[in-house]
Amino acid sequence: MRKIYSVALNTFRESAREKLFYLVIIYAMVLLVSVFILSPLSVGAAKGKIVTDVGLAGISILGILTAIIVGSNLVHKEVDKKAVLMVLARPVSRAEYLVGKFAGVALSLAVLIGIMTAVLAVMMLLGGAALTPAVFLAVGLSLVEIGLIIAVMIFFSTFTTPLLTSFFTICIFVAGTLSGDLRLFAQKFGGKAMNYVTDVLYFILPNLKVFNLRHEAVHGLRYSASEILLPAAYGVVYTCAMLYFAWLVFRRREFS
Amino acid sequence: MQRGGTMEVLQVDGVKKSFRGDMSFASREVLHGVSFSAGAGEILGFLGPNGAGKTTTIKIILGLLRPDSGSVQIFGKPLADRSVMKRVGYLPENPYIYPHLTLSEFLRFCADLSDVPANVAASRVREVSSLLGLEEHANRRTKGFSKGMLQRAGLAQAILDEPDLLILDEPFSGLDPIGRKTVKDILLDLKGRGKTIFFSSHILPDMEALCDRACIIKDGAVIRTVGLAEVFRIGEGMVEITARGCPVSELDPVSGYMDSVAVNGEEIFLVVRKRELVRTVVQHLYNSGAEVLNVSNHHPSLEEVFMSEINGKITEERESAGIQHYAGHATGGGER
Repeated sequence: MRKIYSVALNTFRESAREKLFYLVIIYAMVLLVSVFILSPLSVGAAKGKIVTDVGLAGISILGILTAIIVGSNLVHKEVDKKAVLMVLARPVSRAEYLVGKFAGVALSLAVLIGIMTAVLAVMMLLGGAALTPAVFLAVGLSLVEIGLIIAVMIFFSTFTTPLLTSFFTICIFVAGTLSGDLRLFAQKFGGKAMNYVTDVLYFILPNLKVFNLRHEAVHGLRYSASEILLPAAYGVVYTCAMLYFAWLVFRRREFS
Repeated sequence: MQRGGTMEVLQVDGVKKSFRGDMSFASREVLHGVSFSAGAGEILGFLGPNGAGKTTTIKIILGLLRPDSGSVQIFGKPLADRSVMKRVGYLPENPYIYPHLTLSEFLRFCADLSDVPANVAASRVREVSSLLGLEEHANRRTKGFSKGMLQRAGLAQAILDEPDLLILDEPFSGLDPIGRKTVKDILLDLKGRGKTIFFSSHILPDMEALCDRACIIKDGAVIRTVGLAEVFRIGEGMVEITARGCPVSELDPVSGYMDSVAVNGEEIFLVVRKRELVRTVVQHLYNSGAEVLNVSNHHPSLEEVFMSEINGKITEERESAGIQHYAGHATGGGER
């Protein structure tokens, strides 16, 4: 556990010292500008909803983008620079190394999203929006989604280049976001073959739509505990599965 | 596995390794049955030209590459048992020290990975920083370190947890003379404390000053493992004379007594085949008006042995001295 913690801390330090958290400034500025531009177009309670809507969407998009930028180079850079040699020549298992890298990036993203959430909360209060628990739950589910994306990136980065890792992950993100809609579309209009293909994609690819609680948070809609817990559990299981597959590849990897 | 009843610290047996080209399925064998061993408290040098297979062998020993066949044992345990790595320190060639960390943070990170107890880690970090002359830079980010400082930081992490076996890939690379002296002193101190050191280097005088034995590898095969004592014995009985003020042409009457003659400016260097011939040669030099500057026992340097082996020449001296290979140590497929 200490080794996983050390690798994670090192990864977190790297992100922090490479000024990852400056992204918060970009987030705050985008949020401010959006509110100033969009607020005059709405009236009453809708003004507050704009802040919440833009803020939550910003956290999700910026989080995913950051995960892709940071994660794509995660393992490749260490292998390329041969930093991995000094780590794996110690009594450190490859599983500990991978889990540590995952935990480090996830921690970096969690801190980044935590700060962005604080910025959002302040803006919501200033904008007169209701700061409900749903807002924090929506952020929490976004974090689970980002964790899953990081695990997907780690899987690809164990055997391919940063560019291809980014490309594959973006493909999975897009397909994972649309897989439910595609399946419905195929069930209504597609033939048997199309149905089969979309069914396979739906069950193999991560269903990222389940992590979206933003609509409920913005509009104050009711939601059940299962709408939080099931996606969270699904995300954790999928993340663990991706890390396991990453380990299956990485344990056979040679460092010439 | 055992030599003289003692367990070998490092045992490499018949290791073969092939690599496949980037764009082809054909593989090329780069190690052809490499075998050698190192005992406790021994410094074993790993000598070979570029591309001979030194780094590949080291990576196989550390489990960073998998051999196609053959085996590696450390402290009698196979590589699959990663717990043995607690007793191994490793310095890669051109070590990458995380530039975002300070030296202290980096060493602390390494200590954590090596299971150094938390209450010991801080003092060990201070000790090794001081030992390598880096204590003033302990709280500086390594981003601004020179090549020599990075090399010393790399060595610091390798000796951090006082490993019983130290594996160093080109440890003197990028070091200035003071750094080299420091590293040599550290390695000799570790040897004195019973640690085993296995290192590759291109700097032959350093290797000669440190090693008990040198394992020479060429084209992926161990061609010879030579003890330094053996090197000294190769020229046993031969005497080197340095003289001045005598043209080489004047040496014809005694040329049959000499193994070699070299000229550097006014000075000539003669290697006399047998001790009993020295008096005759010196007398001849005096008679020719030469000034004899030095008379000393002659032995070839490790560099000469290395070049001789690499060039595929078996020296006559070894044959005439009846010196055997270290058969117990080097039994590589490529050994002659």
